[in-house]
Amino acid sequence: MAKIVTPADCAQVIRVLATALLLMLPYFVAPFTLTLLTEALILAIWAMSLDVLVGFTGLVAFGHAAPFGLASYAAGYFAREVSPDFFATLVVAEIVVVAVAAATGFVATRASGVAFAIISLAIAQVLFQIAVAWRPVTEGMDGLANVPLPRAFGTSFGEGRAFYVLTVAAFVGAYAALRRLVDSPFGHTLHAIRTNEGRAAAIGINPRLHKWLAFVISWAIAGLAGTLLVFMKAGTTPMALHWTESGNVLAMTIFGGIGTLFGPAIGAITFDVLRDEFTSRFQAWQFVFGLVFILVVLAFPSGIAGIVNVAWKSLWRSRS
Amino acid sequence: MAQPLVVQDLCKAFGAFRAVDGVNLEIGAGRVHSLIGPNGAGKTTTFNCISGFLRPSGGQVLLGGRDVTGWPPHRLVAGGLARTFQITKVFGELPVAENLALAARSRAGLNLNMWRRARSAAVADRESEEILDLVGLADQAALRADQLGHGDKRVLEVAIALVLRPTVLLLDEPTAGMSTAETARITTLVRSLVNRTSVLLVEHDIEMVLAISDEITVMTRGRVIAHGTPDAIVRDAGVQEAYLGATEASFW
Repeated sequence: MAKIVTPADCAQVIRVLATALLLMLPYFVAPFTLTLLTEALILAIWAMSLDVLVGFTGLVAFGHAAPFGLASYAAGYFAREVSPDFFATLVVAEIVVVAVAAATGFVATRASGVAFAIISLAIAQVLFQIAVAWRPVTEGMDGLANVPLPRAFGTSFGEGRAFYVLTVAAFVGAYAALRRLVDSPFGHTLHAIRTNEGRAAAIGINPRLHKWLAFVISWAIAGLAGTLLVFMKAGTTPMALHWTESGNVLAMTIFGGIGTLFGPAIGAITFDVLRDEFTSRFQAWQFVFGLVFILVVLAFPSGIAGIVNVAWKSLWRSRS
Repeated sequence: MAQPLVVQDLCKAFGAFRAVDGVNLEIGAGRVHSLIGPNGAGKTTTFNCISGFLRPSGGQVLLGGRDVTGWPPHRLVAGGLARTFQITKVFGELPVAENLALAARSRAGLNLNMWRRARSAAVADRESEEILDLVGLADQAALRADQLGHGDKRVLEVAIALVLRPTVLLLDEPTAGMSTAETARITTLVRSLVNRTSVLLVEHDIEMVLAISDEITVMTRGRVIAHGTPDAIVRDAGVQEAYLGATEASFW
């Protein structure tokens, strides 16, 4: 019999094609659209990082603006005051984010359910207040401005294409790393904890340690997104830490479909494109997104990824 | 050599209510020891205190001579103590084999591995297969655990615990909700475990308890009222009165 193409092979081909498409887009679209796409991919990294907690660990975080905004401040400050080298800035931002994640996550992951959601919200609110009040460093409500363009490999990553390519690389890297993570023994252990924490403990798993690590990893990936954001916008404000942002990223993640990684990425991109489409036409664009959100989640509790999965499975079933 | 499991003067109070009140147990190597008593006697609370799901208010738990009182469950597992649950708790979305692989990886300390593929990291696959053979689930290895029948799920519970290579295995009502045929299967299985581990069993099925136990401890209202071989327990007047008085004395 001839070689059989498996769904896994096909998915791999789709991933490669999608990456190639992302890399070729700059040659076809207007600069404005490219900026929008850059932003959408940054939000996608952020939403995937939240999926590690919500979808894969079962911890619904309502304060995921915290790592995003925190990284944007740490990166923006370092890039402006010390060096705009992209990788040095990223390392500094990650050190700050991981240190804060390790400390706050140690406390937060002792809770679960609503208590965890509230604690994560409280962490973000504390950071928001610090950003507003610590004027000498954060410049209060004005936020950091005039963050220079990042430099890497000896050249400046001017606006537009080069920065877009950097973002695509970060996005693909984050997706690949997280995909690997959730398919690893560690990822399966998170699944065990999520489905039955008592059972997991009874087979020798330390639930607290694993949830804590998942928290830190989730924050670290969100830190990558925050670093990219501050370079893209050449600045940041306390609004990056605001609870409405935490709500937005949770909405993107659920809308896209939790526990799937690619779902939240698509959710974030859809969210960003819809926001762009509608803000210019309606004052209350959230109303439109809210309506789409409710309809999709009502029909498909597992979000856009749910729709895609159903289509994907029926495609393969009809062939076999 | 120290006994695999010794429980000394174990107490657990919930407010003013003393659910477990000075319980002593000693489980010998390769023995099947049953803990029986009417509902509310404190058997499951005792179990939870031993396995780290509850912190005892007083007393000691010694595992292989080592004081492990108040250890969290995952540390006790590493120390050689495994348990099953009265209410079936298998990982339903995962295949039967992966249920065992999770336990095998946990024992091998591979939980934190974030890089390897879970499938290729299925350590001790051979051993998991051997245990699936032993419990008679080899044919269902690829099925999702929630597709198993109730009896098979109960057996899978035991199999997961066995992968942990415990020196002491706590079985919390392994035959709960089972048919007669399935109960017989569990009975044979538990009896066959004595060359692997010591067993402490909480069970309501008296017939099964009498058939497989080397020793029986009887509890009522948080206290031990009798301890001995099945024969001695059957003849114990105190047990008949306290435990069986509520049902029917002629049951024996």
